Amino acid sequence: MFDVSSFRRQFAFFHHHPDWVYLDNAATMQKPDAVTEAVSRFYQQDNSNVHRGAHQLSQQATAQFEQARQTIAHYIKAQYVHEVIFTSGATAGLNQLAFGLMHTVLKPGDRILLTQLEHHANIVPWQLHCQRYGVIIDVVPLTADRQLDLNAYQQLLALKPKLVSFSHISNVLGHIQPVQQMVALAKAAGAITVVDGAQGVVYQQPDMRQLDCDFYVFSGHKLYGPTGVGVLYGKTQWLEQLTPLCGGGEMIDSVSFVNTTFNNLPFRLEAGTPNIAGVIGLAAAINWLQQYNNKLIIEHKSLLLNAFFQGARQIKGVAILSMPVHNAGIVALNVDGEHPSDVADILNQQQVAVRAGQHCAMPLFDYLALNGAVRVAFAAYNTLDDVNQCLLALEQAVEILTA
Amino acid sequence: MNLEQLLADTDIALQAIQQQALPDIKQAKDWQTKYRILMQLGKQLPPLPEKMKQQELLVKGCESRAWLLHYHDKKRDKHFFVLDSDARIVKGLMAIMLCLVNGMNSSELAKFNLSQQFDELNLKPYLSQSRGNGLTAMAAHIKACSSAT
Repeated sequence: MFDVSSFRRQFAFFHHHPDWVYLDNAATMQKPDAVTEAVSRFYQQDNSNVHRGAHQLSQQATAQFEQARQTIAHYIKAQYVHEVIFTSGATAGLNQLAFGLMHTVLKPGDRILLTQLEHHANIVPWQLHCQRYGVIIDVVPLTADRQLDLNAYQQLLALKPKLVSFSHISNVLGHIQPVQQMVALAKAAGAITVVDGAQGVVYQQPDMRQLDCDFYVFSGHKLYGPTGVGVLYGKTQWLEQLTPLCGGGEMIDSVSFVNTTFNNLPFRLEAGTPNIAGVIGLAAAINWLQQYNNKLIIEHKSLLLNAFFQGARQIKGVAILSMPVHNAGIVALNVDGEHPSDVADILNQQQVAVRAGQHCAMPLFDYLALNGAVRVAFAAYNTLDDVNQCLLALEQAVEILTA
Repeated sequence: MNLEQLLADTDIALQAIQQQALPDIKQAKDWQTKYRILMQLGKQLPPLPEKMKQQELLVKGCESRAWLLHYHDKKRDKHFFVLDSDARIVKGLMAIMLCLVNGMNSSELAKFNLSQQFDELNLKPYLSQSRGNGLTAMAAHIKACSSAT
């Protein structure tokens, strides 16, 4: 049995905000003490720049930094440690990919395949560079129950896209995509596969050997880690084909004004001083998380999700967009005829933190013909009490809005 | 509805809000009462016709969409506004903001201290709490109208 109260006690945030119900977890997660302590310990005791100092302090910081890379590589089951590239987050990873594959891999007239569920970070970087290079973007539509249409996916794969990029879990609806199957189908069609793990990484330990995708991106702050750090995983053969998006610092081998040659992986894709404390904090988050059985966490979250669905369905005027099955713990909903920001505003008055709006996924909302939704996102540290308080607040919102 | 009619109707509605709703808001004991009043305010204002909801009237920085139309009666040096929003709470708060500045001349508008006024109405948290609700953007926009010609 998952002991939620002892889990929750490890987050100082809840001690400081005993009256708040925090359900904006898909935006960012709270940090356990193990992470905040690791970050402050680094700054207080170990701070030095990495990979360049002639002194012992720098060598120690470098060792700690590279140990963190190993921790993460091991966690996601990457074949090689150098396949873990540190970025500032999933968005930065996708931008590096879209920029880095153009010209070297993607050529004018090539097609790439995205899905209707994607958030802007998995649309806009591709758009920016595809437009410049004349690469065509196709989009996988949804079925009536807002799952990806896998038949359409296969038909679009028949157009032979060079690359397919999709999210593991929809950041709006919480729906889990069949990534394993989708990667396999894309590979069979000869495409490079990119999995956006922004929401997926906290749901399930990513296993690069099993998933076998070519690239995988995620953000640290959605995995109990610090903000401003993330990972771009790639298979060596593909990482080597990426043109670096940023230049400078440790990423070079030699520089002249005629030519610059790049350092080896992972450094050629990590220009400038990295977010050292962030990387160490992320590794601390992963080390901390591994003491828990994720199966039990998934069970706990689905308990919360089911209780929420059950309660929300009883509230007249609440329209739920998400499906309860294959759901990672996110519920998008609306109050009939009301703007989501009004609903979230009234929840906020009752100290229930949710997000309202289009959640950086405007194409999805265009498709659903809605101007937004309220998003309730559960995490392992949430309790049934949180669910109940949110439901009561939602009832109050409906009452005030429809009075 | 033509622009003149819309401005005139909004002017009347804003004056009524200033006289009736402001004292109620100030005295409201809890947030629920305040919200119930705010929800009603938006309904008192004539809606901006769909065809007038132009891109250039959109106030940037809102999670919800909000439109602000400004008219400066130069002869009398009086500033008038028309507003609309998808979200009712934002619309109510904007109605309050506008009823405070409606009909001001340029120098009054330039001097107007919105945050102080909202403080007196016990509404200050709504101004500062979120960039996302667009109130701060709206306030800046209104101030800028004092120097617009």
